[in-house]
Amino acid sequence: MNMDIATSAREDTVYHVKRGGAGAVLDIENLSLWYGQAQALHNVTMPMEKGLVTALIGPSGCGKSTLLRCINRMNDLVDGLSIAGSIKLHGEDIYARDADVIALRKRMGMVFQKPNPFPMSIFQNVVYPLKVDGVRDKTVLEETCERALRSAALWNEVKDRLDQSALGLSGGQQQRLCIARAVAADPEVLLMDEPCSALDPIATAKIEDLISELTGHYTIIIVTHNMQQAARVSDNTAFMYLGRLVEYGDTEVVFQTPKSGKTQDYVTGRFG
Amino acid sequence: MGVIAETTQENRTPAAVGAAIRRTDMRARGEPALWVLGGALALGIAMIAGFLALVAWNGILTFIPKPIDVVTQADGTVTAGEPFREELFRPDAEVLEALTPEWRARIAAADGYTSRTLYRTGNFDLYGEDFRWIPDFTVTKRERPANVLFIERLEWGPFVGSIKSATIDGAERQIASLDDPAFVAAHRMSRQRWAQANDIEKDEIGAINHKLEAARLDLRGVELDSGRDSTDYRQAQARVEADAAVQRGNYDKLAVQVEDLRRLNAANTVTFVAVGGEEKTEEMAHLVRFYPANDLSFGGKIAVYFSRWAEFLGDEPREANTEGGVLPAIFGTAAMTLLMVIAVAPFGVMTALYLREYAKQGRLVSIVRISVNNLAGVPSIVYGVFGLGFFAYTLGGSIDALFYPERLPNPTFGTGGLLWSALTLALLTVPVVIVATEEALAAVPRSMREGSLACGASKWQTIRNIVLPRAMPGIMTGIILAMARGAGEVAPLMLVGVVKLAPELPVDGLFPFVHLERSFMHLGFHIYDVGFQSRNAEAGKPMVFVTTMLLISLIFVMNVVAIVIRNRLRRKFAGSQF
Repeated sequence: MNMDIATSAREDTVYHVKRGGAGAVLDIENLSLWYGQAQALHNVTMPMEKGLVTALIGPSGCGKSTLLRCINRMNDLVDGLSIAGSIKLHGEDIYARDADVIALRKRMGMVFQKPNPFPMSIFQNVVYPLKVDGVRDKTVLEETCERALRSAALWNEVKDRLDQSALGLSGGQQQRLCIARAVAADPEVLLMDEPCSALDPIATAKIEDLISELTGHYTIIIVTHNMQQAARVSDNTAFMYLGRLVEYGDTEVVFQTPKSGKTQDYVTGRFG
Repeated sequence: MGVIAETTQENRTPAAVGAAIRRTDMRARGEPALWVLGGALALGIAMIAGFLALVAWNGILTFIPKPIDVVTQADGTVTAGEPFREELFRPDAEVLEALTPEWRARIAAADGYTSRTLYRTGNFDLYGEDFRWIPDFTVTKRERPANVLFIERLEWGPFVGSIKSATIDGAERQIASLDDPAFVAAHRMSRQRWAQANDIEKDEIGAINHKLEAARLDLRGVELDSGRDSTDYRQAQARVEADAAVQRGNYDKLAVQVEDLRRLNAANTVTFVAVGGEEKTEEMAHLVRFYPANDLSFGGKIAVYFSRWAEFLGDEPREANTEGGVLPAIFGTAAMTLLMVIAVAPFGVMTALYLREYAKQGRLVSIVRISVNNLAGVPSIVYGVFGLGFFAYTLGGSIDALFYPERLPNPTFGTGGLLWSALTLALLTVPVVIVATEEALAAVPRSMREGSLACGASKWQTIRNIVLPRAMPGIMTGIILAMARGAGEVAPLMLVGVVKLAPELPVDGLFPFVHLERSFMHLGFHIYDVGFQSRNAEAGKPMVFVTTMLLISLIFVMNVVAIVIRNRLRRKFAGSQF
């Protein structure tokens, strides 16, 4: 690894992070990542504030999804992956040798680009995280299901057909079901990987409202291609380019008076 | 390319436009290829449909009662029989010499060919043959008298002739017709007594033999454990002998009952007379079915037809399998296939799961995968040899030595049997299941697995809750293919447990009710046996078609059931996907 590039990349990052008051939940320190020989992340250092919404933006292939999937170690499934640096959840290194991946993922919820409900009933979908955790108490499961569906603003639409297949829902409903599933186990962090890219504008608006409502309860990290969306829903925005973190800070600043020339070019639509 | 790029919309001449939209070459559009592909498909379908039609046609027609011709030949011999088939043949020169000039001219006009007919004469006990060729030129008279009967018997094949007289309860009397109430009642009574005697012999005396054998084995077990000189042995011996005496008493009582039934039956006989004047007396109990072949109403024909089907599907075989039913073979085929599926499904699915989900994809896994695929190409008889050597002799031999030492040297599991056949076929069909399961697992969307893992599920929980249910329809397809392959397989079974005639079904009322070590009958082997191993190949031929039809139907039914289950699963797991 070439140290010159690494240090310069780090110096390039412009920070002006909006603080939430409760401190950082996640601390990404000096994270680099390689797919085989190809380096996808270069020395990313980034604290995530508790209770705030952080948006990751940048052109395709800039490493924002890769970064997101590092946080709950979904990248472990990829062959030939290597990582340097650390990610700390409440000060514990999640890449430590003795870290329990399954326990880690139980503390995080994730929503994917395409809705991916499981081929089972709506109820079973929502309580799946509890079921795999060994919860069998019916009242607990039912209460959790209602709470999760209410916080995903889906309860009123599906409360009468909880035992029907989740595959019968519309795309937007399916995605909100996936959000309900992600928050069912009451995670500390909610990871969203372009959650609206497969949805129509009305469904998108619903999901965005939902994100605003969830702010404060959860620390949300959202990857998005849609800059208006990032501007609307997030408190902090990180702009990434070619695997490097270019600018990270208050969303208003990033979109109105970006400190970096590259961010300026990207948010004004000059490239990307 | 360049020319087209330079041609702009404005300066295009009409000629250039014409050239641009000239018809595409037929070869470029792939029309000849389309015809070849369609032709190949049509040929395949035609062959399969033709084969099925042939089997079905012959199978359905076999049991229809045929008329009987009484043929008088020039030398005065009279023959009665069902016309079986006709063919052209070329008579020898000496035969031609002896013919009338008229016939010689006719044969010469047909290039030396003339036709002859094969008659199923029956009466094997009288003639020493079942079938007889009669050339047309020897026939002087051919008629279909109403009083000729076709009689199916327990032994010696059918009898063709007419009733002369009958003896009912020892008293001889003339019978006006087949509908004579006294005769009908006596025949029914005899058949009932015969069935009753059979039942006693099979079930009750069978149970006594079973108990005697169990007692003997018990004693032998004590002998092996504590030796011949021990007090244990002497006590056991005394106990067994006392028990055996009781059983023998029971046996004697039953034997007397059977003897009585047989004696009563011996008093009911019918004397038949063949067209040649030969007489034959048969016990009524031995007459399965008889009908006036040339004087049969449409309803009568239907009744005979269905009664034959009922016997075929519901009875045990007789006459070296060429007559009677195939119930044991149907049962054996279904039981063996079911057992095979029970063995192959978990084994194949587990193997594929490890290969696809857990094993590190590398050179070793590729080699395993290629080997599995190659297994599908090993000749099935090789599996039979392996099954006999490994399952029956090695595994079964060890089981016998460990658990059934008192039965040795008679093998229990150490010889071919239902279990070993099912396992051998499971081995034969496991590649199909592995390949299908691997494909089904690979087709489960990555997003589903990720969604489950992101919920904090372990890999195993993900596989059990998400991947396996999603892959189940594909896995079922593999199992269906394996089942179809296994149910029709015969060659390996001939080595590991299928027999021509199994004395007992693998499932019966004696503890432990399912006897996996027993040899069994199989429809596929039955076809081979009836068609090629029986005394009477001509009589067996129609049975080959009927049995084939039955085997195909059985496999068809089993597949339909499996497909219905699969579709139900598919509806459940693959709804509207985004």
